[in-house]
Amino acid sequence: MSIEIRGIGKQFGSFVALDDIHLDIPTGELVALLGPSGCGKTTLLRIIAGMESPDRGEVLFAGAEATHLHARERNVGFVFQHYALFRHMSVFENVAFGLRVKPRKERPSEAEIRKRVMELLGLVQLDWLADRYPSQLSGGQRQRIALARALAVEPKVLLLDEPFGALDTKVRKELRRWLRRLHDEMHISSVFVTHDQEEALEVADRVVVMNHGRIEQIGTPDEVYSNPASPFVYEFLGNVNVFHSRVQGKWAEIGREEAEAETTTAFVRPHDIEISRHPAESALEAVVQHVHPIGPVVRVELLHGAEIVEVELSRERHEALNLLAGQPVWFRPRQVKVFGDAVAKESAKQAFLF
Amino acid sequence: MSAPHSPPRVLPGLGLGLGYALVYLSLIVLIPLGALILKSSELGLHGILDIATGERALAALRVTFGASLAAAAINGVFGLIVAWMLVRYDFPGKRLVDSLVDLPFALPTAVAGITLATLYAGNGWIGRWLEPLGLKVAYTPLGIVVALTFIGLPFVVRTLQPVIEDIEPEVEEAAATLGASRWQTFVRILFPAIFPALLTGFSLAFARALGEYGSVIFIAGNLPLVSEITPLLIISKLEQYDLLGATALAVVMLAISFVLLLAINLLQWWAANRHRGSVVEGARP
Amino acid sequence: MSRRRAAQEPRWVRWSLTAIGLVFLFAFLGLPLAAVFVEALAQGWSAYVAALAEPEARAAVGLSIGIALAALPLNILFGVAAAWAVAKFDFRGKSLLVTLIDLPFAVSPVVAGLIFILLFGVNGVFGAWLTAHEIKVIFAVPGMVLATLFITFPFVARELIPLMQSQGKDEEEAAISLGASGWQMFWRVTLPNIKWGLLYGVILANARALGEFGAVSVVSGHIRGETNTLPLHVEILYNEYNQVGAFAAASVLALLALLTLVAKTVVEWRMQKEMAMLNAELPPEKTA
Repeated sequence: MSIEIRGIGKQFGSFVALDDIHLDIPTGELVALLGPSGCGKTTLLRIIAGMESPDRGEVLFAGAEATHLHARERNVGFVFQHYALFRHMSVFENVAFGLRVKPRKERPSEAEIRKRVMELLGLVQLDWLADRYPSQLSGGQRQRIALARALAVEPKVLLLDEPFGALDTKVRKELRRWLRRLHDEMHISSVFVTHDQEEALEVADRVVVMNHGRIEQIGTPDEVYSNPASPFVYEFLGNVNVFHSRVQGKWAEIGREEAEAETTTAFVRPHDIEISRHPAESALEAVVQHVHPIGPVVRVELLHGAEIVEVELSRERHEALNLLAGQPVWFRPRQVKVFGDAVAKESAKQAFLF
Repeated sequence: MSAPHSPPRVLPGLGLGLGYALVYLSLIVLIPLGALILKSSELGLHGILDIATGERALAALRVTFGASLAAAAINGVFGLIVAWMLVRYDFPGKRLVDSLVDLPFALPTAVAGITLATLYAGNGWIGRWLEPLGLKVAYTPLGIVVALTFIGLPFVVRTLQPVIEDIEPEVEEAAATLGASRWQTFVRILFPAIFPALLTGFSLAFARALGEYGSVIFIAGNLPLVSEITPLLIISKLEQYDLLGATALAVVMLAISFVLLLAINLLQWWAANRHRGSVVEGARP
Repeated sequence: MSRRRAAQEPRWVRWSLTAIGLVFLFAFLGLPLAAVFVEALAQGWSAYVAALAEPEARAAVGLSIGIALAALPLNILFGVAAAWAVAKFDFRGKSLLVTLIDLPFAVSPVVAGLIFILLFGVNGVFGAWLTAHEIKVIFAVPGMVLATLFITFPFVARELIPLMQSQGKDEEEAAISLGASGWQMFWRVTLPNIKWGLLYGVILANARALGEFGAVSVVSGHIRGETNTLPLHVEILYNEYNQVGAFAAASVLALLALLTLVAKTVVEWRMQKEMAMLNAELPPEKTA
């Protein structure tokens, strides 16, 4: 089922949680709402689920107006951040809940409920936990039960609020892949909220980057990563590997003749910087401050003037360079992204070609 | 609030729940208390004060306040010791003793009253040891203090226990590593942490004692001007069909209760927020 | 549980504090409790049983139970309704409502009785109307039920409000999003979650309802065999110097109090267990 969001706005007191949000989610797509906490992503998800009512705008399900539908009637599966499993019910009863509360006419027989629940538990690979209680499960297991419970009512839309937020890294990675597979098998539309860009980029078909109640960019993971629409997206999608170069100072140095240059900011990812031990044309001089080998990459901190520049090198490259703290080096960016007013953009790009 | 045609709230029952709560609150609590205010308005402020400052009424208030304060103070001291002991020390039968602390909540006040009166009477288990020492407890104001101490005890202990439990041992260990003696640690670190709760427990015990009737009347002797408490004076005015007199005293008691309730709420608010202000400010973006 | 050494008083301090605390508790709680039963049995079992077998004593027991049974359901309903509204929703005046719920705790029992006389007594607000219609509220059972309602008003709500606030509304929202109706949500999700807290409040309210003396005494009129609850019966016998009778009745109330303490402890223990379950550290994740 497709979801359309038209001009949704929501305020809590004087705090604007959502401001004129427009978003189309075609059937079968897995969409990530990505942004820092307080950006409005969870509120948007809850509005889609019917748990929060918008002040303005409308929500359409499969082209039909759904803004006034009660949460109960929307046929959405909602997975809560902290799972919200019914703590006094066994895993089996948790999953069976949605079937048991159906009106008598539609309610499946006990045998059918049993079959369906065990199927779902099989799907999430936890059928051996049917008699346990939520408190006896690990976080990842709780999460999968919450998912099975949401799927039991055969929702047309699956909504997940920070589905992996409370899990540790290893489980999180595994569940991510698993969610992707599950989504593809179920042929439903799914929306999940996350503040983890890696998660969004890995799992989603499309990523909606949000900030301060607005959508900053909508696009495929590749689009938003390699072609960010705003400085915010650029910085937010950088993960720890991001290095945002506040190059103003450096700028003035190089592109002194460009009068407008001071108002622009350029962004360079740390892995897009080349280092050489010898002076090179149009490269900037710096001093190596620290060298941190971190797993497969080596992070190098350079001091350029008063500014710290972060660079990420592959292990091979680092071995070839053999950097030590205190060494003078020359670096130059391979790829630069500049945001600013139109005039500045042109000149800045020119300037940074070195 | 919400747009004119928004979907209903997700969770049902606000109207039903709040509606019932408000109607019931009004019927059982607010309207009856309103009747008291209404009746007292027949007297006016002057009339109320005239009755409340009559010789017998004033003496009763003095006895009530004095005994309540004394009992709350006793509970403050011993309640602190009991709470400390129950949280920090181990001894056989601790769980039993811990449950027993709630006895004054569970035991009907009349039972407490006749029992204490019997215990502290001249031939009672305790009275027979105290009387030769010249200490008459039963049928004197001292008896009132005993009864009020009994009923107020759990308030202090139960308010203090969770607070003492919440003190992190690391804090005390830090004090110890900085060279503080155990006594210095208690005075400078622990007591300030406990103090608001102690004050709250004291006020709760005090508030409860002011209105107490059942446990007191059996042991008090109820001599006008000497050992007559205000609640009893209200009843004796009622029995003489002096409805206005009873109302006046009741309004005074009610006003005092309100002030105390307010003070306790403020106290708890203060205890919860006293170290928080600056942090909250700093955390704001 | 072993305490850390640096956070521990010297042994002599621990011992003397424990001794002081226990002696205080023994003198103020242990002795009175023992005295009730010793006095009740002072003239042997047969006198004790005879005192309890008296029709007036039996009527008093019946009336006490009846009043508690009449007062509790309304207060339970109120407690659940108020806690539901306060814990799961935001509305203006919420903190005022919470404060007002506590009000009866701050009012002297005697005043609690008096206000109902002012409303329903012969000279009260509704006195004339009640007399005209020959309805007796004061010096009759209805007045005693009203006074008990007032006295036990806050107990259930007070237990449920913090409990339901701490549980949040995720589970209820999950139930609704799975298609449950309001009642299905309440019976299947909310009620099972609050049952121990509810029971706790009911135990406390029940103990208070059975034992209330001051408020009930003011509105009862002390009519033997008719408006005499067990605590009032105790008073009458005691004032008649019927020591054994008074303490026999008192011993029944003391037994109920002990029963209350046991029930309360059991429920507290269950609640702690559930809390521990809820806040349990998740077991380390096993990945296949």
